[in-house]
Amino acid sequence: MCGTCGCSDPADPVTLTDPEKGERSVLRRGPLAGPGHDEGHHHHHAHGQGHDHDHEHGHDHGHDQPHVHGPNGEVVSLEQAVLAENDRIALRNRGWFEGRGVLALNLVSSPGAGKTTLLERTIEALAGGVEIAVIEGDQMTANDAERIRAAGARAIQINTGAGCHLEADMVAEATRKLDPPPGSILMIENVGNLVCPALFDLGERMKVAIISTPEGEDKPLKYPHMFRAAGAVIVNKIDLAPHVDFDQARCFENIRQVNPDAELIVLSARTGEGMADWLAFLRRQRREEPIGA
Amino acid sequence: MHELGLTRNIVSIVAEHAGRRRVRRVRLAIGPFACVEPRALSFCFGLAAEGTVLAGASLEFLEAEGDAFLIKDYELEEVA
Repeated sequence: MCGTCGCSDPADPVTLTDPEKGERSVLRRGPLAGPGHDEGHHHHHAHGQGHDHDHEHGHDHGHDQPHVHGPNGEVVSLEQAVLAENDRIALRNRGWFEGRGVLALNLVSSPGAGKTTLLERTIEALAGGVEIAVIEGDQMTANDAERIRAAGARAIQINTGAGCHLEADMVAEATRKLDPPPGSILMIENVGNLVCPALFDLGERMKVAIISTPEGEDKPLKYPHMFRAAGAVIVNKIDLAPHVDFDQARCFENIRQVNPDAELIVLSARTGEGMADWLAFLRRQRREEPIGA
Repeated sequence: MHELGLTRNIVSIVAEHAGRRRVRRVRLAIGPFACVEPRALSFCFGLAAEGTVLAGASLEFLEAEGDAFLIKDYELEEVA
């Protein structure tokens, strides 16, 4: 039962596919694998750091945990973040990226907003200049990793089974395989979902949320957590705006309402309109020192 | 959507910490930006706790700041 994502189905393991080598490995078995499933794969319970409480099992008193006696029994203070284990691995990923000078971005959007197309165009635009490696997250299929590869970049596909988001340990494993060189960009294309990925730090420099014009201007208000967590918001498919009655000013207003600081970029990955702004943003991010370093 | 898995995380952390002793109550601290729905956690908690030392325990919530999402503390059942 180590799937943090409750919508996991026991039949669906989390897998990692390297389309270049044709290798496929299982990162996690189904969440209902039962006890004794810890060996040999990355499980995800947020244990207390360092397991320093192991000695307390079967204890009575005399341990370090502050505790008091409540009306009924002993109250043990825990103060442990539920996602401590994910956050710990994310922190390690972030250190690795910063130490190597790799710009890691976590792309989040609803399905079909154009994440993969944007990546294809970005890879083409930066070909010969900046190396891009991509971690593709989807529930099933290696289609997106194949598309990225066809566009000329290295990609690892993570299939989350029924899981609705990527977690830090999956990114750590995929990064080990990709081994992005210093100065490169690592694009992490999260599972298309505007809810769950907001909660999981992967170690990225920032989350980049993508909204496409046919989705309507009120997406930021409907899914405020995601847009609040994003450092930049891309409005994609701007070429379709007149056909879907998209009101850009109102969309900006809505984004500002939940996130006044996010950088806003308007583009069409299909026609190329606004792509220069996105590429300039990437150049700027590559130059900038990591925040808090 | 992910609350069942989060609840399982909570149960497994507390169960490991409590060892073999039965747990009567767990208190969570959740901030307004935690992106977690307390009612959904409550809904899943009984199910996730089944068959563990947390079976039958209550789940309570404390208001916290920002995006905090912590297991604040837990209360053990009195040992007779």
